[in-house]
Amino acid sequence: MSRIIPKSIERGLLGVSIPVYILLYAPLFLIAVFSFAPAPGPDHHTASLSWYHTLFHDPQVLAALRRSLQLAIISAMIGTVLGTLMGFGLNRFRPQSGSGWLFTLPSLIIYLPIIMPSLVFGISELIFFNFVHSATGLLSAGLLTMGIAHVTFQAPYVALVVFARLSGLDPNLFEASHDLYANGWKSFLYLTIPVIQPALIGGFLLAITLSIDDFTISFFTSGPGSVTLPLYIYSAIARKGGSPEINALGTMMIAAVIGIALLQYVYTRRRDRQLAVRGTT
Amino acid sequence: MPSEITSDKTKPAHAARSENMARAIRLWITAGPGLAWIILFLIVPSAILLGIGFMSNGDYGSPHLPLTLDPFKEVAGFSILGWADGNLITLLRSLVQSFIATFITVLLAYPVVFFIITRRPEIRPLLLLFVILPSWTNQVVRAYAWVELLGPRAPLSGLAQSLGLIPPNLGLMPTNFSVLIGLTYNYLPYMVVPLYAAAEKLDWSLVEAGRDLYASGPRLFWAAVFPQTLPGLLSGIILVAIPAFGDYIVPTLLGGNRVLMMGSLIASQFTETPNWPYGAALTIIMLLFTCGGLIVFRRMTKRLGGGDGAML
Repeated sequence: MSRIIPKSIERGLLGVSIPVYILLYAPLFLIAVFSFAPAPGPDHHTASLSWYHTLFHDPQVLAALRRSLQLAIISAMIGTVLGTLMGFGLNRFRPQSGSGWLFTLPSLIIYLPIIMPSLVFGISELIFFNFVHSATGLLSAGLLTMGIAHVTFQAPYVALVVFARLSGLDPNLFEASHDLYANGWKSFLYLTIPVIQPALIGGFLLAITLSIDDFTISFFTSGPGSVTLPLYIYSAIARKGGSPEINALGTMMIAAVIGIALLQYVYTRRRDRQLAVRGTT
Repeated sequence: MPSEITSDKTKPAHAARSENMARAIRLWITAGPGLAWIILFLIVPSAILLGIGFMSNGDYGSPHLPLTLDPFKEVAGFSILGWADGNLITLLRSLVQSFIATFITVLLAYPVVFFIITRRPEIRPLLLLFVILPSWTNQVVRAYAWVELLGPRAPLSGLAQSLGLIPPNLGLMPTNFSVLIGLTYNYLPYMVVPLYAAAEKLDWSLVEAGRDLYASGPRLFWAAVFPQTLPGLLSGIILVAIPAFGDYIVPTLLGGNRVLMMGSLIASQFTETPNWPYGAALTIIMLLFTCGGLIVFRRMTKRLGGGDGAML
């Protein structure tokens, strides 16, 4: 089919695509180059790892890293539990005939956190937590309020992942477990959980990524003692407009994301190939 | 006969209704904790935000009774000092920037998508992944990368200075141009992905038929290729234009105070010098423009007859 496209147009496609690919990576590459800037000192002409050294000995950065991981893992665990239950319920308990607001309302509620602009999301949380705190003294801005907000956007994404996995399954599977006298709870524990395990792991990892990637919602729900990595970078840029140390931190975050994505790509490709081989033999 | 039909119909209908009810109850029980969480921590808070837009401003920017429309008058540009065009310009700038950014992503996405789908099937997912990958890095890091690339000390600014495009000692940032670059960079993958999904399923026999009838290149594209990619394009426009309109990080880091957009204007009402009712009123106006845009867009696509496959 690619033979349909004439050579001249093919060259045109390449002529636009290559610069686009370069532009997509140029800024990230530049940050990495800047991060190897020479150390301030006598031999200030050679590239060095000195800013990485500074980074790993900066207690503020280490504390921010610890908070980011803590926030991501705990919120992802809660988000995965709530999201799995929502995805399961939406998939298994669909109306036998017709529909009604009792069935459409839950999916509307689940989509809301996904479609709401993150700025509006963050400001709503800021106001809400502020009111609750001034009225009751509970929920002062910090890791707890950030975690609550993160769960609110993680759970719907997990629900979508689990829902998609369940939709791809044979409905007879559940009939069979029913025929074998498994009650709802047993069926959930011994059938549903094992068969959606890939979706559970995938959803959990997605929730962690969403938490670490978020800035806007974290920014409006954070308190003075809950500076996570993205907030640390933002305040450093706002204060002094960036530094080699920030470049080093940014480079490490970029490398981590690209590394994880490529690993995941290779892993799923290999598994698909194995499944394909097993299917043919 | 008639009585038999009605009894035949009501019985299963009644059974189905009670079965439906049982299912609805189970749905609400399993999904309940998550739904309660979203209602308590998002729906109630956003309702409060909307309500605050109709309240008076207190001493420290906090909302007070009585209810009033003053925040909206302030949004429209009226103050004790008379009318100013600042907010109107900010709103127009946000609309124009998001429109141009969307347009550029369309122009770039088409060649990239057709470059990818004309490769061997095995490497297509990898080429698509390389388009998406940068958007998985933190949005602050991404915007900051452009700050470094366009700042006064950066080589690109040096080039622009020597060409006389910008005055010496100034960078390409903060300008309308730098905000536009940041928005385009951020949202290009959101255009490429739906467009790719539509283009991968392209029916090439239509193109072949057109070629056999001696249609010219542009004619082939508009008649045989473009209509097939329309659903993907429409989803892409929604996915790019709406978040670009309300973006907060890019205009703040790449535009500063010089290139104010709706997102950064709203955010500053809750951070720097708080004025919650004014900020809430600005948010309501932004959401109204977003919803209005969506409705107009949907009407237009329905008239074009291509909106069936689009997301909303």
